[in-house]
Amino acid sequence: MTYIAGVDVGNNSTEVAIARVDTAGKADILSSSLVRTMGIKGTIRNALGVIDALDKGLALVGLERNDLSLILLNEATPVISDVAMETITETVITESAMIGHNPGTPGGLGLGIGMTITLDQLEATQVPGPWIVIIPGEFGFKEASERLTRAVSRDLIVAGAIVQKDDAVLINNRLHRSIPIVDEVSHIDRVPLGMPAAVEVASHGKTIEKLSNPYDIATLFDLDPDETRQVVPIARALMGTRSAVVIKTPRGDIEERRIPAGSIVFLGENRKEMVKVEEGAEAIMENVALVSPLLEIQAEAGTHVGGMFEHVRTVMAELTDQPVSAIQVQDILAVDTLKPQRVLGSLAGEYSMGNAVGLAAMVKTHKLPMQRLARKLEEEISVFTSIGGVEAEMAIRGALTTPGLKPSMAILDLGGGSTDASLINEAGEIKSVHLAGAGDMVTLLIDTELGLDDRDLAERIKVNPLAKVETLFHMRHEDGSVQFFNEPLEPRLFGRVVVLAGEGPIPLEISEPLSKVVQVRQSAKKKVFVRNALRALEMIAPAGNIRLISFVALVGGSALDFEIPRMISDVLVEYGVVTGRANIRGVEGPRNAVATGLVLAHVSGEN
Amino acid sequence: MKISEEMVKQIILEVLGQMQGAEGSESHAGGDVPPMDMTEGGEAKPGTDRNEVVIGIPPAFGTIMTKTIIGIPHREVLRELKAGIEEEGLHPRLVRVYRTADLAFIAHDAAKLSGSGIGIGILSRGTTVIHQKNLAPLQNLELFSQSPLVELETFRSIGHNAAKYAKGESPSPVPVRNDPMARPRYQGLAALLHNKEIQSVDQNKKTYELSI
Repeated sequence: MTYIAGVDVGNNSTEVAIARVDTAGKADILSSSLVRTMGIKGTIRNALGVIDALDKGLALVGLERNDLSLILLNEATPVISDVAMETITETVITESAMIGHNPGTPGGLGLGIGMTITLDQLEATQVPGPWIVIIPGEFGFKEASERLTRAVSRDLIVAGAIVQKDDAVLINNRLHRSIPIVDEVSHIDRVPLGMPAAVEVASHGKTIEKLSNPYDIATLFDLDPDETRQVVPIARALMGTRSAVVIKTPRGDIEERRIPAGSIVFLGENRKEMVKVEEGAEAIMENVALVSPLLEIQAEAGTHVGGMFEHVRTVMAELTDQPVSAIQVQDILAVDTLKPQRVLGSLAGEYSMGNAVGLAAMVKTHKLPMQRLARKLEEEISVFTSIGGVEAEMAIRGALTTPGLKPSMAILDLGGGSTDASLINEAGEIKSVHLAGAGDMVTLLIDTELGLDDRDLAERIKVNPLAKVETLFHMRHEDGSVQFFNEPLEPRLFGRVVVLAGEGPIPLEISEPLSKVVQVRQSAKKKVFVRNALRALEMIAPAGNIRLISFVALVGGSALDFEIPRMISDVLVEYGVVTGRANIRGVEGPRNAVATGLVLAHVSGEN
Repeated sequence: MKISEEMVKQIILEVLGQMQGAEGSESHAGGDVPPMDMTEGGEAKPGTDRNEVVIGIPPAFGTIMTKTIIGIPHREVLRELKAGIEEEGLHPRLVRVYRTADLAFIAHDAAKLSGSGIGIGILSRGTTVIHQKNLAPLQNLELFSQSPLVELETFRSIGHNAAKYAKGESPSPVPVRNDPMARPRYQGLAALLHNKEIQSVDQNKKTYELSI
């Protein structure tokens, strides 16, 4: 009788299964454990985590390290995936011509059109107008409103105002007749004077109608078709805002610029395709599918994508002690996303959501690094260590211990760095595929779209549901249910959207409403996991037809997520596939599949 | 870095010099401010208007004392607080709390009177807190504990944020400057001002509505 251990080193967690093998060669799994992976998967540093996990597993059943006669390591083929953001559009204003920002509290209501004039000039002028009055920061709300009232009493027409400070409501409240006022225009000195301008403010909960429509702008400013074409980017940038100002300048030169983001070349077995990143994620993924089976991906040097690919290669080369030229990128996942960006040349520091493409790339690696890890483990704890089978194949063996499953079936291994899938048929033949993009990519998308700049917080938003603390004694969960508390909540949570993490609610200091955060989180998960699930299953399905797969089991850390399994299940149900979370050996849930599979494959003598 | 005795001496001298300078500028900052013209109404009753934020001030505010520790006239302090609240579409209500000069309790009393449950408490020297009626008195939503660092613009932002809490929004806390030197510099002055403040306290007197 001997004891053996199966060890699965993943991107985020290291899992161990400890088994007793009797004289008849039958394995009996005694315990399992899970720790965080140390270092990047496939490097010597993993050894620490592996030893830690082994000790934990052994301690559970009262064994020592030297009771083990063999450690089986997974053959982790894909090890690193890197994610990067590529911005492909930005709005540039070279002549001041619009203020489209969304101050929290604009004043008044409606649309006002007139010539721009400063408050001082308004005092002196005899021309009735209509005027759009520019009110710089040195005027208090009281003085500004008094001067405006005075001007109106002189029969001047004041159609609207643009204010530097956050005073719009205050000024409007002190006028006899309400006018639309946009405030918090920080660079008010850049507003050109003596130019036709329009100010629009919509009522609460509504968005502006006129200034977000190019034909309405054309009507207001009497533009010809060519000029109308030029204002399209302005109108687009103003969509969805509650207030806006558009000023007609003689050389108004606003454009939506597409940034050359570089191109990617896909080398397949039979064909070669090139695609520009700015064409978007859809075009990139179409080309990936087109050249399948993919051999290598190259990126244009000197561009952002090129830089990212170079980074992935360099890191891999360092980890594996191979020349950079020997490292090949094996798969990428591209996702369309939005990134908050400062509008260049703006008047009030406005942000617009620029289009961006998020890329996850995965490198093809060799057995070498895992062999080095195995040697290192032998040195450290003097237990013979060998490399077991390919990860995805081991995972499916482990998954087969789930009650209610039999071949033919497929698994989806939803990890941190990669999404793997494999299929086993009745004859026991296994087919598997590794794809770039998984949990880490989702975290990146959440981080970018919410503009958090905090990966840890984005990770927390990813794995936990949200709630809004409405009073100190109750919070409303994202599903609409209300939870009451007998003790008041902490004051720092008051009024905030909170992440319901295990260690207690964490307040988010962003102004986005709860529903927006939920929508960003869910769409990020769909973009990555649903897309990759379909992509992976198509690659392994008989004749590429997902309908021919009858069972799919989800394994891996992301299968524990509270909504990803449902999302995948929802799309696969259309193909008539039974989808569910695996329950390894009837006890582990979706965890420990590979470690279990390594032990089982070893005793059946298949590796 | 090695700190020699000489350096320590030099630092002490510098600090002393600054303190004298600060006190020197203090005496003429803003000059003399006349008392505010305020009319006291009846006893303050809890409001029912969800649309209000109550500002609570101690007895000496705007009467015996007329400016904050850094010389901002109380008239301007109240104007900015009220402007901040009004800009967010809510109504400010002013009350005078006689029973205490403890900021936490002034603010908490104001919050309990407020229809929205949000109150602002402010001491004559400028220390300010945003409070909520369900919190314990010594808790707070936002606290501006160092009166010398509370500037005129800060008061506008405090008004904004209090109103946003009342609307159920989640504002970013008003940035608070932190100056370790503020404490040694102003501690003496703050103590004097506090002494002056508590002289007008009348523990048996209720809280009254106030209008300017």
